[in-house]
Amino acid sequence: MNKANRLFILWIFTASVSGCAEVAPWERGNLAKPQMALDPTPMQTGFRSHIYGSREAASGGDAGSGGGCGCY
Amino acid sequence: MRAVEAVVAAIKNKSNSLQALTAAALLLPGLLQSPQAAAEENEVDFQYGHYQEGYRNLYGAQSKFDPIEVDSLHGSAKITLADRIKLSLNYSEDTWSGATPITTAPLVFDANRAILKTTGRGKNAVTTVVGASPYVQSGQLFVDRNFNPINYNLFGTTKKQMYGAVNKQVVHTMSTASPETRQQGDFKLGYEWDEMALNVGGGISVERDYESRFVNLGSRWDFNQKQTSLNLGLSYTNSSTFAILDHFVTPYIEHNAFFKNYVDINPDSGKNKLSGQKEDWATQLSFSQVLNKSALIEFGAGYTRSTGYMSNPYKLVEIFFVDPKQKTVALGLPKNVLAAGAPHAFLEQRPEERNQWNLNTHYAQHIDLLDAALHFDYRFYHDDWGINSHTFELDWGQPIGNSWMVTPRVRYYTQDSADFYTPYLISQQAYNKIIYNKKGVPIKSIPYDPNQLPSYFSSDQRLSGYGALSSGITVSKKFAKGLTLEAGFEYYTHKGALKLGGGGEGSYADFNYYTVNAALKVDLSTLANIRIADHSEHAGHAGHSAHSHHGGHAPAGVMFDHMLSQADDIMIGYRYMYGFQSGNMQHGADFVDDLTVRNNGCGQKRSEYCLVRATDHTMQMHMLDIMYAPTDWLNLMLMPQFMTMDMNFRAIPRVRIRIPTLDNELAQAVNHHISHEHATGGIGDTGMYALVKLFDNGEHHLHAGIGFSAPTGNVGIKYRPIHHGAGGDDLGFVHYGMQLGSGTWDFKPSVTYTGHLDDWSWGAQLSGTKRLEKQNKSGFALGNIFQSTVWGSYNIFDWLSTSVRGVYTTQGSIRGEYNEVHDKSSSFDYPANYGGQYWDVGFGVNATVTGGSFEGNHLAFEWLQPVSDKVNGFQLERQGALSLAWGYAF
Amino acid sequence: MNQRITILLSTLFFFLSIQTSIATETTGRVAPACEGSSIPDAKNYNLQQFKGKVVYVDFWASWCAPCVQSFPFMNSLEHEFKDKDFKVLAVNMDESAVDAQNFLKEHSAKFTVLNGSDQRCAKAFDVKAMPSSYLIDRNGVIRHEHLGFRAGETGQLQQFIKQLLSESPASH
Repeated sequence: MNKANRLFILWIFTASVSGCAEVAPWERGNLAKPQMALDPTPMQTGFRSHIYGSREAASGGDAGSGGGCGCY
Repeated sequence: MRAVEAVVAAIKNKSNSLQALTAAALLLPGLLQSPQAAAEENEVDFQYGHYQEGYRNLYGAQSKFDPIEVDSLHGSAKITLADRIKLSLNYSEDTWSGATPITTAPLVFDANRAILKTTGRGKNAVTTVVGASPYVQSGQLFVDRNFNPINYNLFGTTKKQMYGAVNKQVVHTMSTASPETRQQGDFKLGYEWDEMALNVGGGISVERDYESRFVNLGSRWDFNQKQTSLNLGLSYTNSSTFAILDHFVTPYIEHNAFFKNYVDINPDSGKNKLSGQKEDWATQLSFSQVLNKSALIEFGAGYTRSTGYMSNPYKLVEIFFVDPKQKTVALGLPKNVLAAGAPHAFLEQRPEERNQWNLNTHYAQHIDLLDAALHFDYRFYHDDWGINSHTFELDWGQPIGNSWMVTPRVRYYTQDSADFYTPYLISQQAYNKIIYNKKGVPIKSIPYDPNQLPSYFSSDQRLSGYGALSSGITVSKKFAKGLTLEAGFEYYTHKGALKLGGGGEGSYADFNYYTVNAALKVDLSTLANIRIADHSEHAGHAGHSAHSHHGGHAPAGVMFDHMLSQADDIMIGYRYMYGFQSGNMQHGADFVDDLTVRNNGCGQKRSEYCLVRATDHTMQMHMLDIMYAPTDWLNLMLMPQFMTMDMNFRAIPRVRIRIPTLDNELAQAVNHHISHEHATGGIGDTGMYALVKLFDNGEHHLHAGIGFSAPTGNVGIKYRPIHHGAGGDDLGFVHYGMQLGSGTWDFKPSVTYTGHLDDWSWGAQLSGTKRLEKQNKSGFALGNIFQSTVWGSYNIFDWLSTSVRGVYTTQGSIRGEYNEVHDKSSSFDYPANYGGQYWDVGFGVNATVTGGSFEGNHLAFEWLQPVSDKVNGFQLERQGALSLAWGYAF
Repeated sequence: MNQRITILLSTLFFFLSIQTSIATETTGRVAPACEGSSIPDAKNYNLQQFKGKVVYVDFWASWCAPCVQSFPFMNSLEHEFKDKDFKVLAVNMDESAVDAQNFLKEHSAKFTVLNGSDQRCAKAFDVKAMPSSYLIDRNGVIRHEHLGFRAGETGQLQQFIKQLLSESPASH
């Protein structure tokens, strides 16, 4: 438990200090492309996650809108 | 210079209102880091998915149970209510059926035993294996002094032949279930500031034996001109299990021990109900950062705490009680062999608390050379059940041309086993130790000591150590008018040997599955924009819709009611129908009592009678309505359907009638019917039609429809086979009315007339369904249908109208009958009890959005109230039907 | 555990408050110099040459979804105020000229589109988001900065333009 907590905080810290180049608002054409979206296919992701969730133990832990056992 | 300063000062004093607006505007979402944050997006999506698992390795057992499969339907609407307020609504539905492991046992225990079926008599009798039945209790197991199972041959003549070598192989015990469904509805309401967003959501998921409700809260903060964002989410879920334990397995289950705070088993009218509560609190924090012009990264961390009943009420653990002090010689066993006897099947028991943590990283890199995007995901998961897991995923999003996108993907998942996972258990004590007195007479028995068993145990393979490798591909095509079609395929392999670092579960637990999915996305914002752009070409401001249909729409329950009037137009629509039967049983036009139903509802022979009667029957249909006009006089339509049915029964009381003793099979059938809700669901038949304009003078309009319904709906749905032995207690097919389609190619002609004058409009339609085949593959054909309907409607406002409608329907009874095993127990099992003449009155409301970003959307409801029915044979009374239709033409 | 989360969250909120406080004031200052050639007719334009007129300067790119949605609005502005001292200057920020040309083939622009791919205009205006638009009064002073585009906010923008048109230029 303690170890996990420490890891958690370390993760956030690493994340916050990671340096990066300044990208002006008008230079984000590539980032705005549909294939660059963090989740380009949200519906399909929902379906796949539901299946993974019913077949794998590590489905939990996301603060999603999870509902339903679908215990098959 | 002074002049300029003066001007600035003047402005500062003068325009407070300007400044106020500017301050507000600073809070706006400026740059969309991802297109999802677009200023205005209205979208309607539909998705169908199918999951198909492969057969499990049962080491020679001849299981003919089909592996589990799932049909899944998803519909969602994202709506911008006001400039900064967004609402998203989701509905999803799953139906599943097929075999899953209920427990695990040593192979030598022989848990999956053949179901034999004998056909013919005497010399011609042929016995075939029709499946394998799960055995959780009867049988024998022998172990060596180290408690390893050994081979055992009952027919051996010497001890050496009887008691063989150690055999550590274990195998799943498979059990199959009749179809089950899950329905979920949820929403999310969000408000956006310039550099912040807040949303609240909630939803409910309902299954026959599980219900869960959830609420969530999310927020996003953007910094640094949106180069950095922070997301925080919090959710709470409350779930209830209320499982009726499998009535075929219940007698063999140990369920009296162990259960503590959350579980309560009570014998309720002969059923064993298990009820439990569970609560989950989850929080997730993520941080995303633009790294450079072509790359961004996201880090996330989450924590979930769950308390309550987290076991699966249908999973068992086999416990073999082996008394190490048993007198092997007296039992006639070799010195090195111990008798483990029959196992005792315990309901699995998981801890009542679980804490889960996860950390994840997502990296996205644009590859300029190919205009592609590379996504890499890594997720680490840890929980206090002893499970650590790692997930790696790699996606490559490759655009091809302007409108295609191909995304291949590979994923690897690995997990450790939970601390309390065990395929089965051997407890080194007697289940019941018999104490004898000196004369060898038993005087008392001492039950096993529960404290010698582990506190928690589960043989659920999802808690075992394994790895899984999957790969898939998604292809999407964007059409010019804001429509996107997407299709995906994925193949998944679960293997103990794939576990990172080795030490995974044995290969008996390996399995594969594949999924396919297809989605249609309708981007209403893009469509609305095209519309505005078209208008501004002509007028400079948005005027009346060029696509409005004169005379308005027909009531929601009328199909084929209108045509697209311009060549190249498309309409996307969705229809939902809900039909409900309950209350009285009807014969012809009269209500009849249980006794009459019992004696006459199930065949005319004296020996035939109904054992149970239906209490309610619900039919739900989701239909996608896609329409295209190649020319202004011809429209083509495609209508795929998704069906869900459920039904409940009760036993007919044994009144005033001498009941012959039910044989075991029928008793099981009755038990099965009254203790379960029956549900089926999945893809229905698919309609393909052409509408041809015959006459149109602006006031009166006449068109004809011709088309076919393709038998894509399943008509071979059966109850699960139960039990064993010659004859087999196989209930066979479900009731005719629970199948998902007609099973035949059907011809569906129609003629529709519509007219309008000022605020009034009216219409009439004749339509029919002619089965083009004598019988479907299950041996029957539904009756032909003829329907006529007349309606009138009045526009209360230019956007709202109400309608009244009369409908007359006549349908023939079912021809032919099931060509395989079908246990008949209620009126729904007899072909003569289908069809009839029906009169209904419909009341409807139609709304058409006449302005704003939803201009042209059309929404209609109609309630059909049965007025008079004259049914064929014996049927359950109809209570009414609701129709809902949405459509958008562009 | 709880204490740590509290510390973590308060640190985040602290950063958040710094971020919002350093937003610079754009309105009220004189519009910077901005020049470029128009697409597709390649004429040279300079913001200075419109002094005395009310100018609506918009920064957009073909890949930006709300920018697409703002096109019909800018067309209607051009139409509504065509007889007034009013000018729409839409500065295109696409890195590839082909992208902008293809976009303009599909979405008609009744207003002047400038090639801003040298980034000088955007940097001078300190553009914070895409799209960003600036209302410049007859004296060449930025009077309003608008980030993003929302259909429901167009009415207010039209009001401002009318207000700025009604003002007379300050004497020098």
